[in-house]
Amino acid sequence: MTNEKKRTINRLKTMYPLRALLDEMYKGNIEASKAGKPTAWCMVTFWEGDVILKAMDVESVYPENYGAVCAAFGAAPAYLDRSDADGFPTHMCGYARNCLGYTARMMDLGEIPPGAPMGGMPKPILLLSSGSLCDAHYKWFQALGRYLDAPVWTMELPLPGVKESRIEGAYEHNIGFMVAELREFVTFLERLLSKKMDWDKLDELIDDMIEMNRVWYEINELRKARPCPMHSRDFWSSMSGSLYPSGDLKVSVDLYRKMYDEVKYRVDNNIGALPIEEKYRLLFLELPPWHSLGFFNQLAERGWNFVVESWSYHPPQPIDLTKVSDPLERIARFTYQWLTGRFPDAFNAGEWGGYSAYPYLEYAQDYQCDGALLHPLVTCRTATNHLMLVQDRLMKKLKIPSLVVEGDIVDLKLFDPVDALRKAETFEETMNHYKKVRRQEGLEW
Amino acid sequence: MVMESQGLARVREIYHDRSHRVKQLKAAGEKVIGYFCVYPVLEMLTALNLVPYRVFGDMREPITKADSCLPTVVCPFIRSALDLGLKGKYDFLDGVVMAHVCEVGEKTAHIWNLYLNPPYFHFIDTPHTVHKAAQKQHKELLKDFEKTLELFTGKELSPGRLREAIEAHNQQRALVRELYNLRKPDPPLISGTETLQVMVALMSLPVEEGNKLLRQVINEVKGRKDGLQKKTRLLIWGSIIDDVALIEMIEGLGANLVMDDTCVGSRFYFPDVELTDDPLDGLAYRYLVELKCPRTFREAVFGETKKDYMADLDSRFSYLKEYAREWNVNGVILQSVRYCDIHGYEVPQVKDYLDSIGLPSIYLEHDYSEAALAPLRTRVQAFLEVIS
Ligand code: SF4
Ligand code: SF4
Repeated sequence: MTNEKKRTINRLKTMYPLRALLDEMYKGNIEASKAGKPTAWCMVTFWEGDVILKAMDVESVYPENYGAVCAAFGAAPAYLDRSDADGFPTHMCGYARNCLGYTARMMDLGEIPPGAPMGGMPKPILLLSSGSLCDAHYKWFQALGRYLDAPVWTMELPLPGVKESRIEGAYEHNIGFMVAELREFVTFLERLLSKKMDWDKLDELIDDMIEMNRVWYEINELRKARPCPMHSRDFWSSMSGSLYPSGDLKVSVDLYRKMYDEVKYRVDNNIGALPIEEKYRLLFLELPPWHSLGFFNQLAERGWNFVVESWSYHPPQPIDLTKVSDPLERIARFTYQWLTGRFPDAFNAGEWGGYSAYPYLEYAQDYQCDGALLHPLVTCRTATNHLMLVQDRLMKKLKIPSLVVEGDIVDLKLFDPVDALRKAETFEETMNHYKKVRRQEGLEW
Repeated sequence: MVMESQGLARVREIYHDRSHRVKQLKAAGEKVIGYFCVYPVLEMLTALNLVPYRVFGDMREPITKADSCLPTVVCPFIRSALDLGLKGKYDFLDGVVMAHVCEVGEKTAHIWNLYLNPPYFHFIDTPHTVHKAAQKQHKELLKDFEKTLELFTGKELSPGRLREAIEAHNQQRALVRELYNLRKPDPPLISGTETLQVMVALMSLPVEEGNKLLRQVINEVKGRKDGLQKKTRLLIWGSIIDDVALIEMIEGLGANLVMDDTCVGSRFYFPDVELTDDPLDGLAYRYLVELKCPRTFREAVFGETKKDYMADLDSRFSYLKEYAREWNVNGVILQSVRYCDIHGYEVPQVKDYLDSIGLPSIYLEHDYSEAALAPLRTRVQAFLEVIS
């Protein structure tokens, strides 16, 4: 039996149909576009824009995700070269440069470039960008104006500081701002598409989206168990249902429910994600090396279980929104909760990296992690710029060591799995050492 | 008795020892508040007798401490500023205000607060768009800022004092524009290097003191008889320039830098604040809508359903055409620090615009260190040869 075939991680059976959603999304987009359905290219808007577009029967495509697809299929270099030739600086987001090059090619040819992975991205009627987290999330789409005549709508998402979020009235004006922007967005879409919003449909979609994320949240809560029943690989394979809500949301809700049952069964029966003893429980930040996921299998063979990962791909901590009758306000409160839900705890802990670093301190305690694997990416600033901070806070506050392994989102050669594995072996001694230190300091694990 | 130096001599003194004056003021009981970039509303500080002091980096000093909390693949300017903070060089500040200028700026705000723990700290989450709702939100954010300032100073921020502060800062803006007018003749009466030194000095002084100094500088420059020589006239665009090294290099190669679109220059000073009934309205508008930094998303027509690229460029960059015409510019240097996404995405678009109005341009990227400027010399030289 070859190494690849050896079962090193007990993958969840219920993960496969969730993973397939992404492929279906690309297929569906192409078909829908051929059938004359409008397509929007969207940044991840953390649920602000997706359901609104869905309610208006617009297909959403996610070029950030498509960047990962192009990188995995080896199609990225040609698009990157084109972006460079057009004068975009090379230090910028690899996915953005991939998309700029792809679009330039598409407009030259007047059609989807031949050989574009997964059938390519159809020409959009709208670019939905976002002020959330990353500067590329709006500057990239603005720059697409060089090639496309599609309008750009920038979705606002307030990012207050921990202390500032507590100023009297701040919550209300932040939510009010988001709601006002969402309302403008709906008005704009109605004009763009010459049709009216179906508010009942939107209402139902939001409920489905909230329910889907609630179940997804509960699944991840179950991962606190020892041994942890679900590995990060299953998380990454399943997260697109939540992050890129496409297709029928009721189907997605159902798929996540089935996953919940499977994970719960494992917890009840003490079944871990590793077929062997779980020696180390790890936290992973941020984007995984998609092309080298086998690396995690090698670590699994050594008893490393990845029990929790990047905060920003996780759904918000559930809050009761049933009494909020305005659907747009429900969206606003939901997304704002995702961003600031942990702020009160961060404030009490005196941690000002409220969403960038603090969630990891909570995760590390709640999931009882022995170490963190940090994956800085040369051309994704957003996944990188807080990693040193997290490393420092984890060590200072919880005596949890971090292993740093560099990579990139498009230059796949930068991640060296052999070297990373060598480093990981040495890191085990560090984790063992800090396990003792934590005990001496009265920490629970 | 030692005579206090005046005009450009005083500017040079301040430029070479920026914090000297504010430290004196601090010793006399005043409070000094550091601010990053152009978005913190200075009038609100001035109105409460707080001295605004712009936080810069130091491209001549190696970064040794910031690595522990900011990786090497982010804006080297911000890394440098944080590095200086971690080395204690901003310890004299009584507080710091930062805004959401860009992503790394936003992250660094919280890092600064966490590691340097200044007595006062506030973060303004400046919106990304200029929509009506964003303007309203910005005003709310300024009210939040006001609350924390009042708490810190124990004083109330009265509309009357705020109006006076707006007038004083508008006065400074008018004087800066007057100084920039002295760059319009050929040859200009003041060099790009000197102008930048004046800007840095102004950002290191209380506003009234800065105004006094500016008047001296303007008088001195107006009276110049044998100043600069006629050379190729350039405009410089892009990310922050807080050190004269790059400008000196360009001017040393046989050009006069006669105009800029950077944030230690016209971008910071040109737009006035309108004196509205509620002064916060004028402030909220000016600092969100009027400041033309590429960190803000704009579109030619709000809610347009089709994008016309040239109209888009025109709405975003037509002020550059005005600058080029009024300052009689022959070419444009586009420059940015590496890892600045805000400016990076903009480069081909500004270039497209400049091409459309027939202005030649060149793009320079650097890593905010003096040593890194040397390789750019040849490129600038070649550019000057082509355009002159
Ligand atoms: S820099 Fe990172 S977070 Fe931002 S768009 Fe690119 S891949 Fe996404
Ligand atoms: S130079 Fe660019 S990255 Fe650096 S602080 Fe300014 S806008 Fe941000």
